[in-house]
Amino acid sequence: MSDIPTYTEAFDELQSIVSEIELGEISVDELSEKVKRAALLIKLCKQKLTSTEEDVDRIMGELDTPTTENDAQQNGS
Amino acid sequence: MPEIVNDKKVFTLLEVTKSIQKTLAERYKSVYWVKAEMNKLNYYSHSGHCYPELVEKANGKVIAQIKSILWKNDYINVNNNFLNVLKEPLKNGIKILFLAKISFDPSYGLSLRIIDIDPSYTLGDLEKEKRETIKRLKSEGIFNRNKLLQIPLLPKRIAIISVETSKGYADFLKVLETNSWNYKFFHFLFPSLLQGDRATVSIKNQLKRIKKVRGHFDVVAIIRGGGGDIGLSCYNNYELAREIALFPIPVITGIGHVTNETVVEMISFSNAITPTKIAEYLLQKFHNFSVPVQKAEEKIRDKSRRLLSDEKTKFGSEIKLFRSVTENILIGNRNQIKENINSLVQQTTFRFKNEKEYLRAGREEIKRGTLKICAAEKLEINGFALTMKKDVISQIIQSKTALNNMEKNIENMSPQSVLKRGYSITMSNGKAIKSTKNLKEGDALETIVYEGRIFSLVKSSKKTIE
Repeated sequence: MSDIPTYTEAFDELQSIVSEIELGEISVDELSEKVKRAALLIKLCKQKLTSTEEDVDRIMGELDTPTTENDAQQNGS
Repeated sequence: MPEIVNDKKVFTLLEVTKSIQKTLAERYKSVYWVKAEMNKLNYYSHSGHCYPELVEKANGKVIAQIKSILWKNDYINVNNNFLNVLKEPLKNGIKILFLAKISFDPSYGLSLRIIDIDPSYTLGDLEKEKRETIKRLKSEGIFNRNKLLQIPLLPKRIAIISVETSKGYADFLKVLETNSWNYKFFHFLFPSLLQGDRATVSIKNQLKRIKKVRGHFDVVAIIRGGGGDIGLSCYNNYELAREIALFPIPVITGIGHVTNETVVEMISFSNAITPTKIAEYLLQKFHNFSVPVQKAEEKIRDKSRRLLSDEKTKFGSEIKLFRSVTENILIGNRNQIKENINSLVQQTTFRFKNEKEYLRAGREEIKRGTLKICAAEKLEINGFALTMKKDVISQIIQSKTALNNMEKNIENMSPQSVLKRGYSITMSNGKAIKSTKNLKEGDALETIVYEGRIFSLVKSSKKTIE
């Protein structure tokens, strides 16, 4: 898993930490590390809920470019 | 009346057309029910009349066609009937069963004058189209294609196909943007007609545009609202339904309440029915993500706290146990040491006593031994002294005798004794003369004899011959 997970990865990883901790599979030694990681994931997930990164200008720009062959084929199929 | 020109009977056009008109009028006196495809309605808004193009096709080819007229008042009646029964206005490209009168007008030519159109026939035809669209999509195996797509965990980027000024669009945005959880969505409008014949092409065009930038979107929302339930048969169109079924990202429909679900609604990823419901659907997706995150946060907090407090308790009791165990061990050791001290004291006291006794006995023995040795030595010394005394006396007597002898000898050897026996000593210049050497005539000599001295001069000297 990369350093910056996608929110799906973050969500899944968070769920797995929760189930680990619920099943008592986490020792006190790992606890600090896991809680730190979970806090990061939670922050990431919450950020995803309350922010968007799309850029209207970019979409407009892409809409204006001529259709590529690949798109034409997909449209025609 | 025809005139004769160059032996030819010549009719005017009006005469001919009037004749045709007369003949046709006599031939086709009644009205007839006719079925045909209405290619184009050709509605003229300024006059209110329609000039529908009627065709009949066989294997895709036109095998019959004729112009027709639908006068303004008839059009209004027919259209109202259609709207009531079909929820669709009279439009291009439908099959109709109509009541017509065959009419011929010298200036307009042959046409069918449509008096009435039976909406139930067209309804059946539309139902048939719908059934066929479904059947075709199913036979091509794409009916469920859009439904089987994975919608992202957070469908936050929405491509909206709607009309900017519509109530549905406004409702949708209102619910989405004023949500009390502060969820943020990104939306982008792809404006399109949403009902009537032209909607099919319009929606398809916008879908094509969305496809071009599909990387930016999670979901497409088709939002209609505000209009009546009119002109929705476009959503049964095969081409449009196919486009949506094959669309690479999930399409959610909010077309509005219709009596019969359209094909597009059936095959879309999700049919939320109303725009508000789509917004709620998307918000729900966010909840489905947010709630577990929230719960995870709580659970992790609670569980880790509990884990820590459990460990603390465990640790505390371990400490207590450790303390009591060590205390017990210490007490045991201390007692042991005390016992050892006592035993050591006893043993050393005993040992000292023994040693003291032993030393005392030793001392006594040494004392006795010494006294004994001293006595023996004393006795021996006394013996020595006695012997020594005897020895010394005899030594002294011996020495005395020797001394007397020596004295006699010495006396005998003294110059006086020698001189007495007749020897003399002649000296020159104070020194005894032992040879004739160094003596010359006239030298004074002194000769010592036993009783006195003789002074003489040398006459001659002669060396003794051996």
